Amino acid sequence: MTVKEVKDFLSSIQPFQELDDAALGNIAGGVIVEFYPKDTLILQQDGPPSDFLRIIKKGGVKVFIKPDINEEVIIDYRSEGDSFGLLSLIRGDKSRANVTAVEDTICYLVTKETIQLLLDSNAAFSEYFLKSFLNKYIDKTFSEMHSKSLLYGGGDKLLFTTPVGELASRTAVTVPQEVSIKDAAEVMSKRKISSLVLVDQDNLPAGIVTDRDLRDKVVSKGRNVADPISSIMSVPLMTTEARDYCFEALLKMIRHNIHHLLVVDEGKLKGILTNHDLMMLQGTSPISIVRDIETRQSVEDLVPVSKKINRIVHLLLKEGARAGNITRIISEINDRLLRKVLEIAERKFGEPPVNYCFIVFGSEGRKEQTFKTDQDNAIIYEDPKSAAEGIKAEEYFEGFSAFVKEALVLCGFPNCPAGYMASNPKWRQPLIIWKDYFAKWIHTPTPDSLLLSLIFFDFRPVHGDISLSEKLRSHLKKTMKDQNIFFARMAGTIMNNRPPLGFFKSFIVEKSGEHKDELNLKFRGIGPIVDIARLFALEKGLSETSTIDRLRALKDKHPIIMELGEEIEQAFEFISLLRVHHQIGLMERSLEPDNFINPNNLSGLEKKSLKESFQLVLNIQEAISELYRPGMVSM
Amino acid sequence: MRTTFFSKKTESASLLLGDAVYTVLDTELTGLDMKKDSIVSIGAVRMKGTRIDIGNSFYRLIHPAGRMDHKNILIHGITPSEVEEEPVVDAVLDDLSAFCGNSVIVGHFVSLDINFINRELKRTGRAKLKNAAVDTCKIYEWIKSSEGAFSRHYSARQDELDLFSLAREYNITFNEGHNALGDAFITAQLFQRFLYALPGLGVNSIRDLLKTGKA
Repeated sequence: MTVKEVKDFLSSIQPFQELDDAALGNIAGGVIVEFYPKDTLILQQDGPPSDFLRIIKKGGVKVFIKPDINEEVIIDYRSEGDSFGLLSLIRGDKSRANVTAVEDTICYLVTKETIQLLLDSNAAFSEYFLKSFLNKYIDKTFSEMHSKSLLYGGGDKLLFTTPVGELASRTAVTVPQEVSIKDAAEVMSKRKISSLVLVDQDNLPAGIVTDRDLRDKVVSKGRNVADPISSIMSVPLMTTEARDYCFEALLKMIRHNIHHLLVVDEGKLKGILTNHDLMMLQGTSPISIVRDIETRQSVEDLVPVSKKINRIVHLLLKEGARAGNITRIISEINDRLLRKVLEIAERKFGEPPVNYCFIVFGSEGRKEQTFKTDQDNAIIYEDPKSAAEGIKAEEYFEGFSAFVKEALVLCGFPNCPAGYMASNPKWRQPLIIWKDYFAKWIHTPTPDSLLLSLIFFDFRPVHGDISLSEKLRSHLKKTMKDQNIFFARMAGTIMNNRPPLGFFKSFIVEKSGEHKDELNLKFRGIGPIVDIARLFALEKGLSETSTIDRLRALKDKHPIIMELGEEIEQAFEFISLLRVHHQIGLMERSLEPDNFINPNNLSGLEKKSLKESFQLVLNIQEAISELYRPGMVSM
Repeated sequence: MRTTFFSKKTESASLLLGDAVYTVLDTELTGLDMKKDSIVSIGAVRMKGTRIDIGNSFYRLIHPAGRMDHKNILIHGITPSEVEEEPVVDAVLDDLSAFCGNSVIVGHFVSLDINFINRELKRTGRAKLKNAAVDTCKIYEWIKSSEGAFSRHYSARQDELDLFSLAREYNITFNEGHNALGDAFITAQLFQRFLYALPGLGVNSIRDLLKTGKA
């Protein structure tokens, strides 16, 4: 009875739902039910190792670290269906973080033995846990690499896609196990290697010696270096299959607290994998692409790199990174590519007659790009000091922008169908004209100008004289202040795009056409949240352009976001991730990525989360319609 | 009906609440008359300190000696035909005694359950259960009265003292369907909450817990 309750619960949550009935029954039978009153400290940073995997049945916990007595860094909140304490459990060392119950919480406790067995026997199970935990509790060395990474540490996703064999190019150096410590050390220093594999008479690996063994067992113990090397070797040898993914190798290293693994391919010793290799994989890959971009000197040379980026981005995307990080990585790489194109253009056309700033807007401006992003860009240039200078500038930027547009097309950024590009004379103008555009849009909000403000007001500078962009931004802030009619109109457009949730909490899908029974995640899911964040951010005079940054900045400024900010951020993250995964799925089948999903193909949990996200947006829209008088919002 | 506390001396009396082993127990009966009625099922779950050991549970249906009352069939949902094939109570008693061991027995109005069980043990010439036993209903009343005059007036003290009313008060979720094991599990969760509240009220050991009951 009660075991069945536990089993039913486990079968509804990741990654237990991957398991078969018998396995679930076994786990459920061994579960211990523990209750933690609100504010109970469940695990303590640097305290004893976690003794169980704790799965939250009811309630919620806060995971945080205290780098300093007065400082608290919240890593995560976990709620029903989430778990905690895994890494400390597997490694058997101290807890890395504090975990406190934020409300009365019931946990199912699963023993270490059970979890070990599952991790060893079920690939899907171990992959799930590693993915979710690596991001949060990554080893100190890895987190250091992270902070150095230019690309927000997205590189650790490669752990899940790169087979060990691809990385372990280093061949293992072997010596017979009978040689002396001194001779072995000589081989190591001559070959500049940190580990040596010892083989027996049959040339089979018998053990391994690493720098650490020499340090710990020889030098510090004053051992005679004439002793056979076998006296200090580490056994048993841990091996990994060449076809295993790197994360599995990492798991082995973590679990056994070792830094070297032998790589075996079809029973033969292929090489050696060190934790340094894994670190390099994590840290440098994205940087190397960036470096690659930097070295290219012509558009023709950039084209193959841009294709390579797509492949790497594809890998990153496939591996379940947070949507926010994915889009930021894409934006970061695209920015670099764009800057490179502009540098090439500058070289081709010579010094510009006046300073300029190249700006991007729309999803590019918000750093929320996924695949296949249309160009959305413009040029602001310094106000010319004379009519002659004005003409010169016009001529210069005409050729310049046409070149940039074509170059970007070649690099995989299609033309904007609505012509929001610097190549359109309307969108390459001196600062004074831009100020005038913005003022007009705000003071006489027609449906057309409102649409333009939605797109353009998310602008951010990518290249050139940033101060021009900053001046335009501060002009925008000043002009918008207390423009209640404008904001009411903007709120009106928000009311017109309701999430597709019917009265009885069912999804509203397309009734006919190519996307019958599907719904558009971008326009009907992500769009409303983007619009809400933009409305509030503009109203409060914030400079942030990305939706997540806006929501975070609004947390202590706007009453609605103060209350619902975290939830709306999660909803945004969830829908974005759903969209990105959908697009990946299409691309894997060589189809064009689009934004349409069929809600019937979602899992129960996904459906529930999507409905909750939509409902949240609906609630906020209700609140907005209360805030902005109904008479003002009609379009 | 008020039950009394069993305060038999056991070795566990000096144990701290969090270190003790408990058997949380519930029975389903054909009725409340000690003379005529009998046990239909027994359910029990093991607790070690505050932890409920889900897999380590005990559940047996019993072929009752007496007739089954229609009124009670509706409550526990066990029909005569269901227990027809089940062993008579004797066969279950040894298993139950072994399961209880020398743990502290916990239950809601538990003296009723123990009285019935001991009647059967005595009838079949076996040794009665001598374990220390505590009643979650009594603990509840004690906690409420100990939380002081202020809270006595203001806290939402239940008028209904049945298991399900208390479970609702403590926000413990349960299915409506009755079953001795399911009810024992609910009782265990209730007791779990008490184990967290009691040390704050000066109740630390099993000895304290037993005194608390008498108060």
